[in-house]
Amino acid sequence: MSDRLQLGALLAHPDNGGVRLVAGPADANWAGVVVETNEAALPEDGAGRLAVVTGAPPTRPWQQDALVRRTRDRGFLALAIPEADGFGAGTRALADRLGFSLLHVDRPMLLAKACWQLVEARDSLTLGYVRKVAQSIEYHAEGLADLLRHLSTSIGHGIALIDSEGVLLEAGGRLPSEVHAAIDFGPWVDLTKAGQGAAASVRVDSPSREGLRVAFFGDGLDDRQLSALAVAAEVAMPAVAARILIDEVAEVSDASVSSGVLRDFVDLRGRPDPDVERRMLERGWRTTGYHLAFRIVGRSRVDALQLLRFVTGALGRIAVDSHATTSGRGVSGWLTFAEPPEPPQVERYIAALRDLHVEARRSFNVATAVGSLASGSAGLTSSLGEASDAVRIAANRSTTGWFVRVDGLGLEQLLLAWTGNDTFVPAARSLLAPLQTGNGELLTTLSAYLDHESAVAPTAAALGLHRNTVATRITRAQELLGVDMADPEVRLALHLACRAVR
Amino acid sequence: MPTLLEHDRLPALATGFAILGSGGGGATTMLELALRDERAWPFDLHSVDDLDPETPCLAVGFVGSTMLLSERLPGTDPFGRLIGAAERWLGHRIPAICSLEGGGVNGLTPFAFAAGRTIVDADLTGRAVPSLDQMSILVDEVPGIVVTCDTGAGGVALVETERALDIERVVRAAIVQAGGSGGMVFAGFTVGDLRAHAIVGNAARALELGGAFLARIDGPLTALAESLGGRLLAEGRVNSIEPDSRDPHVLTFGIDGSSGALHRLVARSETLAFMTDGRLEAAAPDLIVVVDAVSRDILEVTAISMARHVAVIRVDGPDWWSGSPERLRHVLPSAYGLDELDEVRTDEVPA
Repeated sequence: MSDRLQLGALLAHPDNGGVRLVAGPADANWAGVVVETNEAALPEDGAGRLAVVTGAPPTRPWQQDALVRRTRDRGFLALAIPEADGFGAGTRALADRLGFSLLHVDRPMLLAKACWQLVEARDSLTLGYVRKVAQSIEYHAEGLADLLRHLSTSIGHGIALIDSEGVLLEAGGRLPSEVHAAIDFGPWVDLTKAGQGAAASVRVDSPSREGLRVAFFGDGLDDRQLSALAVAAEVAMPAVAARILIDEVAEVSDASVSSGVLRDFVDLRGRPDPDVERRMLERGWRTTGYHLAFRIVGRSRVDALQLLRFVTGALGRIAVDSHATTSGRGVSGWLTFAEPPEPPQVERYIAALRDLHVEARRSFNVATAVGSLASGSAGLTSSLGEASDAVRIAANRSTTGWFVRVDGLGLEQLLLAWTGNDTFVPAARSLLAPLQTGNGELLTTLSAYLDHESAVAPTAAALGLHRNTVATRITRAQELLGVDMADPEVRLALHLACRAVR
Repeated sequence: MPTLLEHDRLPALATGFAILGSGGGGATTMLELALRDERAWPFDLHSVDDLDPETPCLAVGFVGSTMLLSERLPGTDPFGRLIGAAERWLGHRIPAICSLEGGGVNGLTPFAFAAGRTIVDADLTGRAVPSLDQMSILVDEVPGIVVTCDTGAGGVALVETERALDIERVVRAAIVQAGGSGGMVFAGFTVGDLRAHAIVGNAARALELGGAFLARIDGPLTALAESLGGRLLAEGRVNSIEPDSRDPHVLTFGIDGSSGALHRLVARSETLAFMTDGRLEAAAPDLIVVVDAVSRDILEVTAISMARHVAVIRVDGPDWWSGSPERLRHVLPSAYGLDELDEVRTDEVPA
């Protein structure tokens, strides 16, 4: 069967001269092909072949009937001829009745070549595809999607980048899901047919992404076309793999530039700086208007870039101007409004960000915080700052699903969150280090004492100690630390330090 | 011995000429009504062999739109002045009369308008044909033919020429002038000329065909076809009527055969060719007779309408036309500019 010329394969061939089925069976296949300039020159013995006639057919219905009948009587199973799409219903019905495939072709010589490639010259078919792959690589591509488009246009079939879950990118058609399901992800090359569809796929050797395959696909492809396309896929694969890598590098560098701009902007604390403004504008970040900032950080190790990729995608579904970039161990971003949004609107956007957070948690162990709505450059800075502070709280708030919003937090929470940062905690540790001797009872007592408004009696009651014990320990701590606890500034610093190390 | 035609043979005669019309030639109804008066009957129908070959003869017929003829009734003597003009031109009385066209309404003209002349069983076509240069005596180039025809308002035109096509063109123009239909007369030949250069015995054939048809009219279609010595080509429903892109007079009918076959009937003013599943089964001068499958009316081309249930019967055309390639050339479908319809592959057509 595979040696036969199949109608499906011919229809799927990208350079088939515009052949299409006008009447007759759609699943036809033939023993071969005969090409002649006119019907009279066709051999007497059709022998189950396809007749390709390059000259125009007669115009009158009875002549067209007779043409179909004679060609069929000679033993041909199909006739491809120019202008057959103009044949009337009667002639089509006759072809159907005779089980004879009537094909229209715009350019019969191209069809003849396609038939020849399919029947006799597999290598020519393969080489044709390979050359087209080479030609499409020659052109500049903006990105992976662009490269796939080039490949698909040039080859004349669909192309898809797939993993076992589904299609990541495709061009020139849609890979049917049943074909995807039938693809074996194990071997280097895989040829798959499912229903009408077929695909030839090759594993993508990419260091950064596992389990990818690049697949050429189309309807009605026969075995010859599939194996030729497999070779084409093998040739195209390194270009695809390289493109994935290039895109990733570009993405990382772009993210790091964005991240730098944002850092510089935040460092300005609302002061105007023309250079930063310009760099922000270059990225399409406007500081005018109203901003609602958010920050998402990993509760454990998270690839900030992947998180950003996800967040950027998800932000696209929120119908408002939004920006995001990596920053430290997470992603910072904000929504921008030209007009001040109504409170219910703000609620809706916060809910959308919460949905984004919930969705992100399916793939990343993250915590998210949302700042308050603020306007202008200073507002953006403060909103970003709030989100940044609040996310430290969010990281420990399992009760709220690791999501908090600043306007839902107390001041002290924020203050504490602020002390939880990387510079304060080590400082606090070293400040309180002298109290770590013994079993840390001095630190516990000092903390409790400060918590209880520097009053001995309530502290003793809270800790279940005698008042004298408390007083002694406080005096000792004071001596060890060498500080004056009558000074309110000192008391505040100590109090915060105690909280930070606790 | 002349054959004596009694009045009761009129339906068979008319039906026979309708069959010989092959879808054209005009409905016989008008002249059937004219001949209903029994006082005119019986008629003596003379075979050409019964008469002296030197007997001058004329042929009469209506030309132009046959449909118009049924709306604008011919007078009681539509050929009188035309015959008079021909006789004056030739300088002698013409005692014998025959039909111009042996199919459709003109088959009955000698009977309706004999006016005492001897009726000869012969005509110039043997079936309906559309053009005057297809008259057998013109095809065989019999010399000395004179043609007269109506020009309207009582006028008469007379044409004497050796170019057959001129007769067609001049008479056609005169008939248009006369209002689209009128009478014409061929003269200047003898009964002897008819023996070799006309279709003889065609009225007898009409009687035979008509009689057989009427006898089996209620029977199965196959039997009906066989009774005519013909073959049932198709029975089915008309599913398409397509005008030709090159010749607006040509219509192609699609018929969905009740057996599943797909038929095509190609017609101009007469049915000219018939195909089944893309294979030619019949072509002029074969008679391709279209009958309403239910009412058994013999249909003219104009009456074949969409969704009509029809039967198509092939009957042999007059042998005269097949007598020589030259004669045949005048009546094959290619004579009307229809390609690829001349050659019926008789080897494969079942008997």
